[in-house]
Amino acid sequence: MSDASGSRGLLKWIDERYQISPLLEFVRHKEVPLGAHPILWYYVGGTTLFFFAVQILSGLLLLVYYQPGETTSYESIRYLTTKVPFGWLVRSVHCWSAHLMIISLVTHMLSTMLLKAYRPPRELTWVTGFALFALALGFGFSGYLLPWNELAFFATAVGTDSVKSVPLLGDWLLNVLRGGPDVTINTLYRFFALHICVLPIAAFGIIGVHLLFVQRQGMALPVGESEAPRGMRFFPNFALRDLLLWLICLIALSALALFFPYGAGIPGFEWELGQKADPLAPAFPGIKPEWYFLWIYQLLKEFPPHLLGIEGPQLCLVVVNVLVAIWALVPWLDRSARAEKPSAGFTDLGVSAILFLAFLTLKAWDIGGGGGADGQLPDPAAVARNSAWILAALTVAITLVRVSFFHHRWFILSGAALLHAVLHGIGGVQYLAAGAIAATLAAVAIGFLSIRARRLPPFAGGNP
Amino acid sequence: MRHLGVFLLLAPLALAIGATSSRAEEEFTPSEELTALLLAPGDDGEPLISRREREYFSELPPRAKELFDQAIENELLSEATHLREILSLGLSAPKVELLMRDNCIVCHTDPTAQDSDTLFSTDPESNGSPSHLDLVEFVSDVHFRRGLSCAGCHGGDPMDEDMADEIYDRWPEAPERHEDRTWIPAFCARCHADPVFIRRFNPALPTDQYAKYKESRHGERLFRAGDSKAAQCVSCHTAHGILRPNSPRSSVHPRRVPYTCGRCHADEEYMAGYVGSDGKPLPTDQLREFETSVHGRALLDRGDLGAPACNDCHGNHAAMPPEISSIAQVCRTCHAANGELFDGSRHKQAFERHRWPECETCHGNHAIAETDDSMLSEQSSPLCYECHREYAEDNPKCVETAKYFHASITSLARESEWLDGRIQPLAQRGLDVDALTATVGELRDILRQSRSLIHAFDRGEFEPVETRGREQVETGRALVAEAEAEYRFRRNGLLVAVGIMAFLAVVIFLKIREIESDT
Repeated sequence: MSDASGSRGLLKWIDERYQISPLLEFVRHKEVPLGAHPILWYYVGGTTLFFFAVQILSGLLLLVYYQPGETTSYESIRYLTTKVPFGWLVRSVHCWSAHLMIISLVTHMLSTMLLKAYRPPRELTWVTGFALFALALGFGFSGYLLPWNELAFFATAVGTDSVKSVPLLGDWLLNVLRGGPDVTINTLYRFFALHICVLPIAAFGIIGVHLLFVQRQGMALPVGESEAPRGMRFFPNFALRDLLLWLICLIALSALALFFPYGAGIPGFEWELGQKADPLAPAFPGIKPEWYFLWIYQLLKEFPPHLLGIEGPQLCLVVVNVLVAIWALVPWLDRSARAEKPSAGFTDLGVSAILFLAFLTLKAWDIGGGGGADGQLPDPAAVARNSAWILAALTVAITLVRVSFFHHRWFILSGAALLHAVLHGIGGVQYLAAGAIAATLAAVAIGFLSIRARRLPPFAGGNP
Repeated sequence: MRHLGVFLLLAPLALAIGATSSRAEEEFTPSEELTALLLAPGDDGEPLISRREREYFSELPPRAKELFDQAIENELLSEATHLREILSLGLSAPKVELLMRDNCIVCHTDPTAQDSDTLFSTDPESNGSPSHLDLVEFVSDVHFRRGLSCAGCHGGDPMDEDMADEIYDRWPEAPERHEDRTWIPAFCARCHADPVFIRRFNPALPTDQYAKYKESRHGERLFRAGDSKAAQCVSCHTAHGILRPNSPRSSVHPRRVPYTCGRCHADEEYMAGYVGSDGKPLPTDQLREFETSVHGRALLDRGDLGAPACNDCHGNHAAMPPEISSIAQVCRTCHAANGELFDGSRHKQAFERHRWPECETCHGNHAIAETDDSMLSEQSSPLCYECHREYAEDNPKCVETAKYFHASITSLARESEWLDGRIQPLAQRGLDVDALTATVGELRDILRQSRSLIHAFDRGEFEPVETRGREQVETGRALVAEAEAEYRFRRNGLLVAVGIMAFLAVVIFLKIREIESDT
């Protein structure tokens, strides 16, 4: 009996019992649209899934040696990385893959945002994707503490402290999160349970739903188009391309893990084990969270202790929640895209979000502020100035690409983000005041445009 | 009239100060006179005593506040400026009680009752008073804090309203007492040489200072030569601002001792005419030299109180320049191991024969520099070689030994530095450097030992340690080689893995091409 007839026989045997023919038929006929969007954007979801798979596998290997406990967490990680054959590789791959997964996930989400792939009927795909993003941040935050080293301990203490700002429930939430009023080994036990059990179960479930939605609805097409010019068979053509890209990702991951075993060497993107956590030691200056939390860390620093009659951190929490809620509800807010009409404003909203986050992250990195090595604090004015110049260059570059390649004409929100950075960094205006000025001017400009357009909704018109 | 107006306006405030919420405050009502003093206006019409000082007064316990009224009753306190001077000290309540119960100091802080040469004030310079009448220093004085105020030294009774004759009897008349300082040590020794008396205040405090002082060079000059320029108790400890030696503000705190001694010994004019036992004028560059020495930098720059100040080598109350025979013993109080090695060496006898002061011969005294391996080098230091050329020319083995010490130590130091420099790059590559770090630590320890062992001037004692050092170097080099081999293994492993993955990628790429060319 030949191999082909053997495999057909096996399929027949399975189909008789589980009726998989409709599924095979679906796979055989599934197509990926071509010629609509740059095809690159269709792969980033797949690479995120690939890095997640690497996380699960490397995490399982770490779990073979990791022992949570006051006298074992740090020691077991140290033993793993110094004595266990290839233990260093497992930890390095796990850390690198975590960061690459977040990068891939953010790219996936931004491409979805800018291409309006969230519009009906894919609102719930966006929402499940957003939930996965939140879970990824949860994975990052909970995993950071597990080595029980000095940096992780203090960063977790600072990070969990912000929960206190939640009105009424703040202290209770802090106690729940930390397992007591302070970060102790009880906090680590909670984070460990979250990291290896609660979050993975939730992630598996939501990834399943997310993939189901994608398979049922297929890839999104550009706004206003109902059919792609061409199509590519998902299997085997697209699937093989996916596999090829995953292999390239694996090569890159292996090289990074070997040549940069402790990360990229920038704050929030490094994981040298260092000293064991000592809860009685004083916190050292310059503790920063992972790079994807830096914007919140910086935004908290920009708020004064009291503003508008409430505590600064509480107001900051409100602002962050409003921004995050807007982001999560974009499929319903973008009425133009819902009506399959161009929505230039929401494209610009995506770009302005990138600029807003980039400016805060640059500031949190203390770009060009000096200090550090000799114990001196960086100069905040110099940091703001340098960050503003870098942001201005970034905005110009993005705008040139938008104008030249995509013929965009609507720049009110990205202009406001640039104005915010310039007023603060170069003009010396206080961060929140500069933000208020930029937001007010943007609101006036949008109001003016909507009056002029009259019948058109405010975010419509201009860009494709 | 204007003052009356201010009084009427501020009287309710005074009452408010008196009637604060605490119960203790309710128990004390200031007299009219005290209230008037607290609110007395200055030249500008504003109260002379500031609001902060009044608030400070109102927070004092009633027992302390009553003492102010008592002083007014005894006619020792009648001026607002006087009250302000006392309140401006901001003393704690127990100290206020100590001060206000002592009529001597209450009276001697009254600017209307005292001349400038007997007035204690917070700013003696602007009052034209001698510097030892500094009230701020006086209230910090260890004697005052233990309740031994003026009468403790000067005699009389602090409760007296007038000065008793005993006070005048106890003191030599001015200006004799200023010109002839021989009375001071015995004056202090009345208490400080009395173990029974001292035990009441500080049982751990020695009482042999006076006996030691009499045997010191300073005591010798003061008592036998009648030289009142020689240092006595007050010269170093001050008169009214005496602090415990462990207080950083004390003139005899280890970090301030060099400057206290230097006040005389670094003053060329003051030291003019003094000669040493060799008949030469006493030098005045000791402080300058000490400041640049390894001891001086440790003590003065780094604040290392383990480093010696002047008194650690010369003694304090029994201060003397160390004799040739005792210099080495002085060094041995800290550098005991090196001293023992030297004692067992051939140099011991030679140095004794020549009457050379052991450690000082090679290392110097006040300007003692940080030791360096180059001290053993024939090229950069004449230390061993000049001496041996002059006194031991017939023994070439010694020169060979010095060269061997230098070669061995510099070689071990070089190896240690090289191994140390490998730790960070290897760690950054993610390699295990624990064993290497421990080896380098061990090697540093061996280097310390070997640098100490040269004081035995004997190859036999040095060689075993050097051998251990060589073994550690071998271990360290093997660990570095092992780590580098591990890194090569990782890199080659990556190359193989990338090769396999790249091959698979090419296969997939070709497969895609094949499929798509078919369609």
